[in-house]
Amino acid sequence: MAKVTFTLNGESITVDEPLNMRFLDILRMKLGLTGSKEGCGEGECGACAVLIDGQLVNSCLLPLGSVEGRNVMTIEGYRKTKRYKILEDAFIEEGAVQCGICTPGMVMASESLLNQNPKPSEKEIRIALAGNLCRCTGYEMIFKAVKRAAKEGEGLW
Amino acid sequence: MKHVIPKTYKEALEHLSEGTYKVLAGGTDLMVKNRSWSETPARFKQDMLYIHNLDELRYVEDKGDHLAIGALTDYETLLRHEAVPKVLKDCLIEIAGPAIRKVGTLAGNIGNASPAADGVLLLYLLDAQLVIERKGARREALIDDVITGPGKTTLSNEEMIKEIRLPKSTFTKTQFLKVGGRKADAISKVAFAGAVRIEDGIVKDLRMAIGAVNVTVVRLREVEKLHTGETISAVQDSIVSIKNAYVPHIKPIDDQRSNRVYRKRVAFNMIEDFIMNMHIQD
Amino acid sequence: MKTKKDISESIRKVDSEEKISGRAPYTSDISVEGMLYAKTVRSPIARGVIKNVKLPDMPEGYYTVDASDIPSRNVVSMIYEDWPVFAEKEVNFIGEPIMLIVGPDKETVMNLADNVEIDYEEKNPVFDFSNSGVRLHFDKGDVVNAFERAAKTIEYEYETGYQEQAYIEPQGFVGYIEDGGYTLVGSIQCPYYVKNAVMDTMGEDEDKVRVIQAPVGGAFGGKEEFPSVTACQLAVALKKIQKPIKFIYEREEDMETTTKRHPSKTKMEAALDEHNNIIGMRSRIGLDGGAYIGLSGVVLSRGMLAVTNAYTIDNLDVHGDVFLTNTVPNGAFRGFGAPQMIFAIEMFIHHIAKDIGEDPYVFRKRHMVKQGDKTSTSGTFRDPIILDDMIQKAVEISNYHDKAKAYEDRDTYKGIGMSWFLHGCGFTGSGESDIIKANVKLRKDDEDNVHILVAAVDMGQGPKTTFRKLVADILDVPIEQVTFNYPDTRYVPDSGPTVASRTMMVVGGLLARAAKTLKEDWKEGEEQTVVKQYEQPDYVEWDQDTMRGDAYPAYSWGVNVVEVEVSKVTYEVTVTNAWSIYDLGKAIDERIVMGQADGGQAQGIAYGYLEVMNHENGKLKQKNMTDYIIPTSVDVPKMENHIMDNPYPLGPYGAKGVGELTLVGGAPAVALAIEQAIGRKVRKIPATPESIMELIDNG
Ligand SMILES: Cc1cc2nc3c(=O)[nH]c(=O)nc-3n(C[C@H](O)[C@H](O)[C@H](O)COP(=O)(O)OP(=O)(O)OC[C@H]3O[C@@H](n4cnc5c(N)ncnc54)[C@H](O)[C@@H]3O)c2cc1C
Ligand code: FES
Ligand code: FES
Repeated sequence: MAKVTFTLNGESITVDEPLNMRFLDILRMKLGLTGSKEGCGEGECGACAVLIDGQLVNSCLLPLGSVEGRNVMTIEGYRKTKRYKILEDAFIEEGAVQCGICTPGMVMASESLLNQNPKPSEKEIRIALAGNLCRCTGYEMIFKAVKRAAKEGEGLW
Repeated sequence: MKHVIPKTYKEALEHLSEGTYKVLAGGTDLMVKNRSWSETPARFKQDMLYIHNLDELRYVEDKGDHLAIGALTDYETLLRHEAVPKVLKDCLIEIAGPAIRKVGTLAGNIGNASPAADGVLLLYLLDAQLVIERKGARREALIDDVITGPGKTTLSNEEMIKEIRLPKSTFTKTQFLKVGGRKADAISKVAFAGAVRIEDGIVKDLRMAIGAVNVTVVRLREVEKLHTGETISAVQDSIVSIKNAYVPHIKPIDDQRSNRVYRKRVAFNMIEDFIMNMHIQD
Repeated sequence: MKTKKDISESIRKVDSEEKISGRAPYTSDISVEGMLYAKTVRSPIARGVIKNVKLPDMPEGYYTVDASDIPSRNVVSMIYEDWPVFAEKEVNFIGEPIMLIVGPDKETVMNLADNVEIDYEEKNPVFDFSNSGVRLHFDKGDVVNAFERAAKTIEYEYETGYQEQAYIEPQGFVGYIEDGGYTLVGSIQCPYYVKNAVMDTMGEDEDKVRVIQAPVGGAFGGKEEFPSVTACQLAVALKKIQKPIKFIYEREEDMETTTKRHPSKTKMEAALDEHNNIIGMRSRIGLDGGAYIGLSGVVLSRGMLAVTNAYTIDNLDVHGDVFLTNTVPNGAFRGFGAPQMIFAIEMFIHHIAKDIGEDPYVFRKRHMVKQGDKTSTSGTFRDPIILDDMIQKAVEISNYHDKAKAYEDRDTYKGIGMSWFLHGCGFTGSGESDIIKANVKLRKDDEDNVHILVAAVDMGQGPKTTFRKLVADILDVPIEQVTFNYPDTRYVPDSGPTVASRTMMVVGGLLARAAKTLKEDWKEGEEQTVVKQYEQPDYVEWDQDTMRGDAYPAYSWGVNVVEVEVSKVTYEVTVTNAWSIYDLGKAIDERIVMGQADGGQAQGIAYGYLEVMNHENGKLKQKNMTDYIIPTSVDVPKMENHIMDNPYPLGPYGAKGVGELTLVGGAPAVALAIEQAIGRKVRKIPATPESIMELIDNG
């Protein structure tokens, strides 16, 4: 066990857990934040993706020891933001959600993209989402949702 | 077992000198390999040093004759850095997806020493020099001399990679070609990186590196040298003998991702494709 | 007067917000005070007899649960009853469950599970197609005569590989004891399949087993029968331990030990007359069932029914076998036997045309079904068929003919392929009326809120939205006034499983009828309940023994066009474009249907060229998301889909089946495109770069 301090959704937090715990488990088990999902546990699907210092990271491959001093945003924090509302609305309007298990991760990936590139082309969107597997939608409507969000949320990113 | 987050690089070397620690950088190889049941800690078999937060090892610096890359610089940062050679970027963008690239490192790619590692392939191509340190000592070595086999390197328990140096070079054409199971998020079945500098129709610098076809990356400097100084057509006319020179070195395996016949064929196709098109600018 | 909106006009899905925001409680998100964790101990060998089991020292509070704890029958009740809850004496596949280790600390549970020592007497496993477990046959016309008078016969064999559902949420349940009974909350497609199986294994009455659907993170058939296995195991553990238990599969465990699409081999032989018309066809299909039959017989039957796809062939002889092998049991997967068969027949028709030197497009059109034709099982295509118009439209939007011509130039290494196909809606034959007997209920409370009570599961395909929309539309009330909660068998009647593309057509149809009754009888401020039960359309006649008659009450139709480029250097396929046209009667919500179209096509196309799974001596070689490749956002083509209305008189607003239709034509379309690009006949999918290289080398 070791004390690790980091910023989580805007607030400083210290947890006392083994450094080799997966950050995903810290979030889901210890902190009760179950919005990040486990689809594979091996970095392949992106369902567990969170933002670290504003960029997308898979929390299932992140040991707690790597989080010290970092700034973490999960879907639970992100959903309170204006940008989230824009993305949420775009995902609904474009029908980008089916079973929904990939969706929180997709939203985090979309935020990470738009944060770095507010006006992405379709190709850039595809590349940005390539680490987030979706088995339901065939992605098409997700691409449209990200495009719509970029347009509707112009100036926010 | 001990688990430590060193505050400084110096402290990290101090711990390493005990000889029992393993460093975890991005963790994208280590966390997969030591995966346990969900909600239980990763099953590491030795003491662990969590170096991910050593920001002092996170840099890209243009040193005139070479580019110095701090060991913890992640792939996404490299992709965005203007001084990073294009052919390396062409490779990096095909490694995993953004979320892995945000933490994954070249040093980890080296440390993991997979024959299918894409970053390592490019380090071979670019003649990368590694700055390797342990408490009170430092050495520099060419990538070829550090990786010795699948998962095997000459790094001792007390050492770690501090920096990767890419000597500057100019090319008239480069190529990175990777075959994975799909177009992103895939481990290479076979991969190729090539670079050439042609001046006035003469091949001045020719390099080819092939991954996932042997225990380490295949790069035959003798063969490349043999054809340096030749005209384009002279090199292209020698395609059969060039390919023949690679025959003893292209020895792929069968596994869950592909088979040896395919890997071999594609490796030679890639060599031929590069040589025969090396005069055509990107 | 306000004109009513067309039902197809899309509305916002009602459950998207809770899913996007991460609030929807999927099974693994659920925690129950004091819960224990279960882990499965499995067979490492493909076939053998258990000789001795040595348990590690079990600390207090840790339990083993195995076959000896089963109160009633050690069999998972599904259509065919041969799948044990726990292996008892014999093991028949690698990964077969032998016992559970249950306890409060996961690390301890895991270590205990790792230290169970089991001795086996190994036996020779069977992997080839030699041991038939189910054999089916039907015929039509006089095939012997057709072959006798044939001017020519042509024969080919086709092969398909495994396909893994690869839902992103692995299998799982949380179970607890409630009023002396068992409550199971899980990621499932069929609450009543689970309930009935558990009742059977436990020897318990109806009121002792309660099954609740949690939000389902993808299913595709993979959560049709398989969850009954884990549910029975969990119920046995609950009975023994009397504490809440969480039972979630890991990804690798899920991939290695749960059902998949059956690998298949199909032999087809056609008799042609002197005008090059197909006058007869013999076909023999073999499915690899894995170690237990489970649903495989039904999958086989649905596959066989699709043997002539959208072509009319007068004389037929169709044989099918499910072969038992010592591999993981295969089962339900979107399409249910049809994808294998549609691949085979679409390729076969093309290969015949090519062999006789006729333009496949013309040849196929000549054999295409028309309204009034007899189906493969001598039933009748009663309803209007608009396939011609659909093909026309597909040809236009894809510029099919020009491209097909241009790509005849081999050097382009490009190809375009078109499949057209049908899919039978609902259960086969009299299944709905004889076996399922669906019931639905609408309850209106005294505040005039209407509650939909059905066991249909929303696993992403949208009934949470479309059912409410449908009922609200008929009742002419705002959708907010209609509720549809996650099914809980305590409250909802058995409206049947969420399978076979029956949800909208059958369950939705019953709901529409219930809503109409409620509307006619609407009493403001009063509690009212309406119940409706399935009634078979009177024209459907089906003889299960001879497999003759109307196999389905209705058919949905589709056309897929896929365009590819093959790399000369690496033989990799890039799918550049895909177009599709569907006749699913009437879309209850266009965007939801389009979502099915995109997703189904992505799966169907990937089945044809991308998704590789095989085993070596019974051990699956691709057992995680790294090695089992499903398409990412950069693999999927640009897709353009259209629907064409062709209302089915007995479906709600004319709706027919959707979910499976969108998958079944993808594989032949991409395989045909690859075939053109490389100028070689593709007879096996997935058409991987490795196999494309071989084809180019050897023809
Ligand atoms: C989903 C997924 C996709 C992937 N796709 C690809 C791909 O396309 N191509 C590819 O090549 N790889 C891929 N990988 C593998 C992996 O991401 C890379 O090898 C990455 O570069 C590893 O870096 P890391 O920092 O995460 O390494 P870590 O896991 O932290 O470490 C790996 C090894 O290197 C050692 N090490 C790390 N840093 C140092 C140092 N400074 N000095 C000495 N030793 C060190 C560690 O001790 C360990 O032995 C993928 C992985 C995943 C999970
Ligand atoms: S659960 Fe982390 S990437 Fe799949
Ligand atoms: S919506 Fe189901 S996995 Fe994406």
